[in-house]
Amino acid sequence: MDVIDTPDLPPENNEQQSLEPSTPAAPPYRKVPVVFSGDGKEFFGIWIVNVLLTIVTLGIYSAWAKVRTQQYFYGNLKIEGHPFSYLAQPLQILKGRVLAVILFAAYSLTSHFYPLWGLAVIGVLLFLFPWILNQSLRFNLRMSSHRNVRFSFKGTYGEAFVYFILLPVASVFTLYLMLPFAFKKMDEYVYNNISYGDKPLKSELRGGEYYETSLWVFLVGIGFMFGMFAIALIFGATSAIGDVGSSEGMASLMMIAMGVFYVLLISVSTAIYRGRIRNHILNNSEFDGLVQTRSDVKIWPYTKLILTNVVLMIVTVGFAYPWIKVRTTRFLAQATMVLIDNEADGAVDKMQESQSAFGEEAADVFDMDIALT
Amino acid sequence: MQSLTGNYYFPQSSESKQATVSVVSDTVSVHYDGECAFVIAKEAMKLSSSIPGVATEIDFEDGGRFIASDAKQRLTISSARLEGFEKNKPLIFASVFLVPFCLWFILAVGMPYIANKSVALVPQSVSNQMGEQSFDVIHELFLSPSELPQVTQDKVIAQWDDAVATLALSDNKYNLFVYKSDYLGPNAFALPNGTVVITDALIEKLEDKPDAILAVLLHEIGHVERQHSLRLVAQSVSNTLAIAVIFGDVESLGEVILGTGSVLVMNAFSREMESEADDYALEKLVMLGKSPTAFSDAMKVFLSLKSQHEESDLLQYLSTHPEVKDRIKKAQEYGLFVDEQ
Repeated sequence: MDVIDTPDLPPENNEQQSLEPSTPAAPPYRKVPVVFSGDGKEFFGIWIVNVLLTIVTLGIYSAWAKVRTQQYFYGNLKIEGHPFSYLAQPLQILKGRVLAVILFAAYSLTSHFYPLWGLAVIGVLLFLFPWILNQSLRFNLRMSSHRNVRFSFKGTYGEAFVYFILLPVASVFTLYLMLPFAFKKMDEYVYNNISYGDKPLKSELRGGEYYETSLWVFLVGIGFMFGMFAIALIFGATSAIGDVGSSEGMASLMMIAMGVFYVLLISVSTAIYRGRIRNHILNNSEFDGLVQTRSDVKIWPYTKLILTNVVLMIVTVGFAYPWIKVRTTRFLAQATMVLIDNEADGAVDKMQESQSAFGEEAADVFDMDIALT
Repeated sequence: MQSLTGNYYFPQSSESKQATVSVVSDTVSVHYDGECAFVIAKEAMKLSSSIPGVATEIDFEDGGRFIASDAKQRLTISSARLEGFEKNKPLIFASVFLVPFCLWFILAVGMPYIANKSVALVPQSVSNQMGEQSFDVIHELFLSPSELPQVTQDKVIAQWDDAVATLALSDNKYNLFVYKSDYLGPNAFALPNGTVVITDALIEKLEDKPDAILAVLLHEIGHVERQHSLRLVAQSVSNTLAIAVIFGDVESLGEVILGTGSVLVMNAFSREMESEADDYALEKLVMLGKSPTAFSDAMKVFLSLKSQHEESDLLQYLSTHPEVKDRIKKAQEYGLFVDEQ
């Protein structure tokens, strides 16, 4: 198990020690790594058995499978030896899935059987989307806890509608020039509405970073397009010389070369966008006076990770999925640090009284994650 | 083991202490700071379901929480059955084969069966609506008025009317339209309400072979009679749902792989339906007293269109239609078979 060392002993709770006690001007915070101790082989067993049980139970078990998978990843993600916890109950997930299946079936059957009404349904979904998004964020954060303190989300429908529907639509009319701004607003909306117990998260994001990142992705895209064009030219020229018989082999060779190029392009641009934006968000976020987050994802190793993930998935016809999920989580955890304030008293969970994990959940019929995933 | 070491978290706060939880018959005691902090009944706590590699967690009724520090420690009262499955090497090994097999069975056998059965329950009004609305969309996007001389059009339509009458098909259901379409090229298609469209380009190609035109149109009627569009919709929707429910969040990469698999299955299904429509056309050609070779004449047009790139064995799995050569061969063999009778 090539994991970063997990402390074998129960974590120390005497948290007043700083990293360098000897230096006179010790920082008022301690910098600690985020550790992921999941293991690919172990998760493979969990995953494949859960998929089998889901099939055998005609999909019903999928809710249990989801909870167990989440608990595996949360429980293996630790800060100072304290793991995260996923608190959702399978029945809540099942409820959400049933609703999602109904929504999806209604939408796809309408759009197939009544193509004209399908347009109206898309309109309805546009208005439904912000609600579903909020519902899902609220549920997932409330079901996440660290050190017995839950996270929460308090976004409103109006804001979500503006940032996730209006802005992207508006950006179409600005030749997509407004799109990076829209992305920034979406992230700002999501992150600034998160709290850890009574500590709200504050993310101060800069539009410039989104524009610079988008420009890089755009330039990489242009570069690859020229590359593909060159390949086409080379193959075109060679097959013009060669006889008819070999031109077919050439054509399939070219298809493969194009495919490889395409995978490269997707990997590089995904790594650039996700890596840079993740770094930017986490390096500018703070749980009010308690914890600052840090991220240092390096673009080239991240690109290599995504590329090898693609190759592994193709070579194993998808069986590598559990492994790549574990190695990606480990990679991102290794790139993450938190700065914990030494003076802070920790967080207080205000919600816990009304919503203990013990059940009789506050009887909101929509207390669920409306998603198939 | 009947005791666990780890961290006890106080209710409603992130404050915690190193602690030990012990279970003795029906009571649970929590120790920290070297003394017993509290004792409760076993029913007042909730134990997490064991998952390989995940430490045991305990929720107490008052909102306190305990998380073991070692993922291998388990209480004997923990439910361990699922964890047992997830760590069971023979079961894991068997799953590697069972999962693809079950998946194949669901997508290639189960879903087509269900689609077939459920389509029979769809009322005719739905098919009519589907046909009319699809026609509006296709008409708007891809069709323009025919530029063929009226005589040519009338000839095709007269032949169609005859065939519909002779085969005792409902003539207020089946309607033929001639349209020009640059997008579709030489082609014909049918909608579930019985609307059949043939393009100018196809009529031009087969102008001197009226029976071949009839063969193509009969093939399209075959699609309508066997409710193929409804079956395709039912199956693609149910497949998408089944995959989403079974695999949950597989992210973009897994989606590509699963998507490819499901496209292959859908293509196989589509090829099967084309064969069914071919069979229908051949059968009806004979009933109308025409030679089944009229069908192979029609297919030869598509063959000449395709001859630029030969279909390799591998590519045929990517195709939604059976290979043209096979369809010609089938029509010719069908002819021989009928002649012998």
